[in-house]
Amino acid sequence: MKNRKISILAALLVSALLLAACPQPVPVAETALEAPASDAAVQGGVWVEGSSADATILNPILASDSASFDVLGWFFPSLLGQDPFSGAIVPTEMAESWDVSEDGLIWTFHLQDGVMWSDGEQVTADDFKFTYDAIASDLVETPRKANLDNIASIDVLDPLTIQVTYEEVKCDALNNLGLGWLPSHLYAEDFSDVMDSPLNEEPAVSAGPFIFNEWIRDDNATVLRNDTYWKGAPNMDGWIYKIVPDAGARLAQLQTGELDLIGVQPEQLTTVQLNPDLNLHKFQDDGYSYIGLNQANPENPQAGQDEDGNLVEQDPHPILSDLAVRQAIAHALDYDTIIENVYLGQGYQIAANVLPAVGWAHDPSLEPYAFDTDRAAQILDDAGWTDGDGDGVRECNGCATAEAGASLTIRLQTNAGNTTREDLGALVQDQLNSIGFDIQFEAIEFGTLVGELLGQTFDMVIIGWTGLGTDPNDDSFWHSKFDTPGSGFNFVSYQNARIDELLEQAVSVPGCAAEDRAPFYQEIQKIIHDDIPYVFVTGSVGNTGYSKKFNGTEPGPWSFYHNVETWSLAQ
Amino acid sequence: MARYVIRRLLQAIPTLLGVSVISFVLVYNSPGDPILIRTFDPNITQETREILRRQLGLDQPWALQYIGWLTGVTLRNGDVVAEFDRQDTRCSFAAALNTTFCDNGGGILRGNLGTSIATNQPVWERLVERMPATFELSVSALFVSLLLGVPLGVLSAVRQASLFDGSVRVLAVVGNALPSFWFGLMLIFFFGVVLGWLPTGGRRTVSLTNEFDLLDRVRHLILPTIILAFGGIAGISRFMRTETLEVIRTDYIRMAKAKGVPANRVWFIHALRNALIPLMTILGPTIFGVLTGAVIVETIFSWPGMGRMTFSAAVQRDYPTVLGAVMFFALLTILGNLLSDILYGVVDPRVRL
Repeated sequence: MKNRKISILAALLVSALLLAACPQPVPVAETALEAPASDAAVQGGVWVEGSSADATILNPILASDSASFDVLGWFFPSLLGQDPFSGAIVPTEMAESWDVSEDGLIWTFHLQDGVMWSDGEQVTADDFKFTYDAIASDLVETPRKANLDNIASIDVLDPLTIQVTYEEVKCDALNNLGLGWLPSHLYAEDFSDVMDSPLNEEPAVSAGPFIFNEWIRDDNATVLRNDTYWKGAPNMDGWIYKIVPDAGARLAQLQTGELDLIGVQPEQLTTVQLNPDLNLHKFQDDGYSYIGLNQANPENPQAGQDEDGNLVEQDPHPILSDLAVRQAIAHALDYDTIIENVYLGQGYQIAANVLPAVGWAHDPSLEPYAFDTDRAAQILDDAGWTDGDGDGVRECNGCATAEAGASLTIRLQTNAGNTTREDLGALVQDQLNSIGFDIQFEAIEFGTLVGELLGQTFDMVIIGWTGLGTDPNDDSFWHSKFDTPGSGFNFVSYQNARIDELLEQAVSVPGCAAEDRAPFYQEIQKIIHDDIPYVFVTGSVGNTGYSKKFNGTEPGPWSFYHNVETWSLAQ
Repeated sequence: MARYVIRRLLQAIPTLLGVSVISFVLVYNSPGDPILIRTFDPNITQETREILRRQLGLDQPWALQYIGWLTGVTLRNGDVVAEFDRQDTRCSFAAALNTTFCDNGGGILRGNLGTSIATNQPVWERLVERMPATFELSVSALFVSLLLGVPLGVLSAVRQASLFDGSVRVLAVVGNALPSFWFGLMLIFFFGVVLGWLPTGGRRTVSLTNEFDLLDRVRHLILPTIILAFGGIAGISRFMRTETLEVIRTDYIRMAKAKGVPANRVWFIHALRNALIPLMTILGPTIFGVLTGAVIVETIFSWPGMGRMTFSAAVQRDYPTVLGAVMFFALLTILGNLLSDILYGVVDPRVRL
């Protein structure tokens, strides 16, 4: 009898666990509203952010991963600020104003006075110059060398004035001046200790709202209030960056209050929305997902330009160089179903490469490709891709680019482990196969995929861009000079002389006024939309779940913590 | 015994060398480029990538890289002393060979596991930082596996074909089959979120001071230990059941029962002692199983140990860290097997080493 009782108890426990795992039918609530701010600031409290990955190095010119910047961003001053809501460059950090010479080549930045490192030294123009000189040094192995591109010289006119001279006008050049500044008084003048300095793991000083406290690798990093912060010391005692690799575990810890902020996965949204102790910040992120279509033969990758900068005619892709095939793919995909089922509604269809968030350059008149399988099939029929043998897969019977009889077989790849992209791949395969394609889908390890992409040995790839920023210049994706097998990001081998010309003109407009640059970008979008080097699947939507522990949180799409010094512990 | 231990340790040297060659070849020839993975960013130029590749020595043929990893000495064509000579790397040019020799003072033969590509930290330092966490979890999981696996196996054998025996056997199958990542998330949800009894992850409650609190540490240890020990309990209980069944059919057990020795004394004193001996032989593989199982468990429970570090290093193609960890795990496995052989000799006097 006792044994039976134990078995029943065990069965009940297993059933309880299984039931707990099943999704419960729940109503979808509207985004929770933030708790009202209180007038009197309350000191104290700690904010814990959950992250999937740990920082690697706490030096702004050596780091290349977002986790490192999440932590080191608290300590190092930067020249330029960014509006948290529009993303525009604004004089809210070290540069309080700037002047530009008439020819647009010389930029003079006037710095905030009285900004101090936490050890009492003043932050000056020398710190800026030291940082950029360090990047240029052969002794420093940094992925930031490109930040020096087009800069002819950096001169310190006085401790609070910096002059940057460019070789030519480039309207997005300011983006390269956004790196954090190193405290030059703590490093050797010849940069010989930059690589191995203990400061790379324990930054000794800060000019930001928090100072470094402790970093336990793969566990957590903690920072404390900087009482001398020039914008005013934060009310909170400190901030913790806690490493929780698993997304499910991060959500669980947000629910239990062990974490105060996490990036929310689409399938986790309802849980966060229904929790009265949590807020949800939803925003259009600066990225998009797409299917890249290789225009060149993957068996013979070639550079887009020769050494003299002339276009090199590509060995075309036997199938995807045919515009009709690309149009058929664009029309054969059911974007609404994809966004609803794969992205769980967290996306929006886009027509071309400039996102609506960059309002001045975005062309709202362009219509995204409509889901129309009849039209897609007709396009293929008209282009000579027909199913002659009745096996369900079309062959080339008079097509423009492939050999007669070649089947419409195309490889589609994405990175394994990204379940959203894997689901999208399966759906795309299904939808394209239904009109006579033979899509061979595979999800491969990310490092391998990167090799295939940059090596230009793929046919079609599902991937995405993030962190595109506020400037619409994306020449590295389209300009033929970036079609360089092994390294360039125009890995779809897109070649269009007019696009090359427009991209160059758009960043060298005298004065760089938005209204002068916009027509170039609108023409670029039209051509990209019509040529279909990418099938644009969805614009990215970001979701951040966070606790109501503090009043005054006012997250923007470009920054969550922009006003952290004003946050006040909720009572 | 001493001679046996020395002989086994000497045999470990070619084994480790073999492991180093095989793992080096596998790791360096696996697809994916550590530089591309780190610099998959349109704002980073190819020139920057090439500089990084050269500075890290990744532009060299793998055989030269292997020699460098083994000895700390790298060879390059031509006079490149000015480019590579640093405070910690001394270079000299041999004109007769038209080759530059650089010695960074490292090399695994000199006990230096190299420097991480991802974090620029010495690999040994990275391992040492995470060792306490992994050992803490592994030892507790091993302890629980033995504590529960042994009596469950013995009782299961003693009550052969009973409901209890059936339950233990089902538990053994479930324990081996249940994916630890799923079971781990279920426990987190049930005991952490629904009941709120236990923390959902991490090795401690994070705070600005991170002070040591034994009770807090134990609470954080419970769920990952259960998951990691589950497979061990299953394996050990099944093994002990088989061994005990063999022992209890022997004459001396029959004799003890015939003499009227109480049943518990027969099972747990006479039978268990002899059934335990073969357990020593699976101790080494069990230790290895616990260490490798820790990779998943450490990830789910945000446990800052060596397994999780090795996994992320593999994803990032941080070759030196992966190789350093592989060598370390190989050494642990060799020592684990040696320990189990020695223990076998200690508990069974008939076995002479």
